[in-house]
Amino acid sequence: MNPYALLFIIVGLGLIGWLMARARASRFSPGKARRLHSLPSQHGWYVAAWTALPALLFVAIWSSVSPGLIADQVLQHPLAAQLPAFGFERASILDEARRVAANPEYGAFNPLAETLAPIYGAAAARYAWIGSALALLLAFAGGAFAFLRIRPDFRARTQVERTVMLILLVASLIAILTTLGIFASLLFESARFFGQVPISDFLFGTNWNPQVISASDPGATLGAVPLFWGTFFIGAVIAMIVAIPFGLMSAIYLTQYARPVVRRWMKPILEILAGVPTVVYGYFAALTVAPAIRDLAVSLGFTYASSESALAAGLVMGVMIIPFVSSMADDSIAAVPTAMRDGSLAMGATTSETIKKVLLPAALPGVVAGILLAVSRAIGETMIVVMAASGAATITLNPFESATTVTKQIVDLLTGETAFDSPKTLAAFALGLTLFVITFLLNIVALSVVKRYREAYD
Amino acid sequence: MQTRIQRRYAAERRFRWLGLSAVVVSAGFLVFLLITMASNGAAGFLRSNVALPVDFANAGLEVTPAQLNSAGADLALASAGIEDATANAATAAYGPAGIDYIAETAWLHVRDALKDDPSLLGKRAVVEVPASAMIDVASRGQGEPEAEAAVARLQAAGALSRGFNSAFLTGADATDPSAVGIWGALKGSLLTMLITLILAFPIGTLSALYLEEYAPKNRFTDLIEVSINNLAAVPSIIFGLLGLAVFLNFMQLPRSAPIVGGLTLALMIMPVIVIAGRNAIKSVPPSIRDAALGIGASRVQVVFHHVLPLALPGILTGTIIGMARALGETAPLLMIGMRAFIATPPEGINDPATVLPVQIFLWSDQVSQGFVEKTSAAIIVLLVFLLAMNALAIYLRNRFETRW
Repeated sequence: MNPYALLFIIVGLGLIGWLMARARASRFSPGKARRLHSLPSQHGWYVAAWTALPALLFVAIWSSVSPGLIADQVLQHPLAAQLPAFGFERASILDEARRVAANPEYGAFNPLAETLAPIYGAAAARYAWIGSALALLLAFAGGAFAFLRIRPDFRARTQVERTVMLILLVASLIAILTTLGIFASLLFESARFFGQVPISDFLFGTNWNPQVISASDPGATLGAVPLFWGTFFIGAVIAMIVAIPFGLMSAIYLTQYARPVVRRWMKPILEILAGVPTVVYGYFAALTVAPAIRDLAVSLGFTYASSESALAAGLVMGVMIIPFVSSMADDSIAAVPTAMRDGSLAMGATTSETIKKVLLPAALPGVVAGILLAVSRAIGETMIVVMAASGAATITLNPFESATTVTKQIVDLLTGETAFDSPKTLAAFALGLTLFVITFLLNIVALSVVKRYREAYD
Repeated sequence: MQTRIQRRYAAERRFRWLGLSAVVVSAGFLVFLLITMASNGAAGFLRSNVALPVDFANAGLEVTPAQLNSAGADLALASAGIEDATANAATAAYGPAGIDYIAETAWLHVRDALKDDPSLLGKRAVVEVPASAMIDVASRGQGEPEAEAAVARLQAAGALSRGFNSAFLTGADATDPSAVGIWGALKGSLLTMLITLILAFPIGTLSALYLEEYAPKNRFTDLIEVSINNLAAVPSIIFGLLGLAVFLNFMQLPRSAPIVGGLTLALMIMPVIVIAGRNAIKSVPPSIRDAALGIGASRVQVVFHHVLPLALPGILTGTIIGMARALGETAPLLMIGMRAFIATPPEGINDPATVLPVQIFLWSDQVSQGFVEKTSAAIIVLLVFLLAMNALAIYLRNRFETRW
């Protein structure tokens, strides 16, 4: 049966269960003998939950188990004996057979896949049928069980509310599961990488050239120091040189000088800068900014200026970060008690002196935390550097030269055509782990700075 | 004394002027970006057309008007050689180079013209067909010298015109810039967004409710809170790596499919919804909960009948902002293989698809001149969607903002 139809039927059965149980519960004449413990609709929810939830859970489990069962069934068939014994070819033929079985309009490339496709289709249909039958049986059984328990004194509300709490708890567990999933997948793939490449080569090597990996010494061309340097140079130096002054001065102007109407308009306009998709910034950087910077560099006398300069990527990234810095600075300046500002002004200081001598020093921890968060965001930023930075890993201080970053290399490594267990592909996960750890530490430091600072004025 | 005060006032003015210029320059960046995209992209919505005289009577097309009215018209015309007939017409009208003046898809337009009016079959008629990318670029004064000369010849003959390119909004990706469209990518984006919304909104809302209303204060709750705050700050490309390792390699879900993209993006924006949702729930005054509890409601009834409806506008605002972020996201989708060339719009959530930002990224790699304006035009469409979503979020916030 079509999975959507099955889901639809299960939900429909749940609805019918709800209506029937509510109708039955409202016939328990209230007030006559004894008061109902629960409202009729709570009885309804009880039956609906028993009808739909086990069946839906079963469908979820079944859909993850059945592909394996179907494949087993196909392999039992005599024709499957012609399959190559192991490896990539066998998997690709089976995959092709599955695709042809699911959608007969595709022609099969491999003749064996063509012959296996009907077998695959039959097995898939059979397991889909079994799955649907079991799911519906479960829905009916659950619904009947729950329906028969409905009595005037049945505590449906307690049961329903316990289920609701369980669902809420499961929903909030997903965050932990995601964190674990990220950590486990990065760690697992990185461990495989470090099994092939010594960790010291990766962390301290200065030669990054993943196109040529020698089988005997894979670590020789997988030294990530140039990437770390490029990431730091573009994200933490060039981008911050743009973002900090503009962001900070914007925040100061908008909180201290601007009339309310100007502030009301300018703040959302600046925030649009953070809402523009990074692919648009990347395109802008590659198409408009990079050629202009190369022309500038050539006119300044740098004959070897690159059209994929670190400056182009960093500049545009800095613009993207401006609203981030400015809103953090805005918050921490607003958190400084007004009495301190008024006191300074009453002593005869001008507004700018008050800002420089009183507000900024008092707001400094918050501003620093904001800058750290902005740095962590800049070094995790991908599309701008993918489109505007170069792939050549160099260690340089010249912003007109090309530089590459961790995120760009991850994209480059994983969008090529390589097997999933080569050091080249696994290196992307090692880079991802490094990036994750660095941004995680930056965030923790920033948040603890904010926390300590907040306590000072409470 | 006087001079010192003057100096201090001058410093004050300078500082103020510095602040103002920071704001103006930052806004100027945005304006410059938008103007660049708009001026490049406007041409992407337009198309150069060439008037192509076709002598259907002598083209040797062996089809009958009855066939043209039947369902098999496309097949009949294709086998009758309409593509060659179109090429011959171009050569006859504009010389040996004429075939380069019209787009590769021009014969489709000739075919459709014939299907619309079968009586053309015995006549000579002029059909408007799209110009090739070379002519299209040259007609805006940026092309090669020989293309410019061709444009001049066509213009002298009055055969060149410009019109709105509806195919850009209805077509999918193609190799020829004059035939590309965004509908395929837009549909992929919509399907992906649908999955993201279905997953992230309930999960985010429910976990916000749990954390704000029920969670006991213990280390386990702290763990949930720390992981949500941390997830909100994890770089998006890491979510792509997660999707690649878990959804593609471990769970064997189909590559490039909206379902995988939606799952990945849902995990990414769920923390945004949780954080916005918690703030919205926190701002519902305790007196409402107390009143409901006081007249005998259970805690679940308090939350679902009173707190949630009052907090919903705030949660929705957060959801829209999160969805806008997901709509513009590219890097995690590149990781899960959504960068393939896909020339047909996806039919369902398991079909290979691409999304609008990835389409922009793919087009930006194309060296052909015609792709520059198509990329900018696609960016305009993406920005229009994003600005509309943000405007809706601001409107909702203003409309439903309640002060208790």
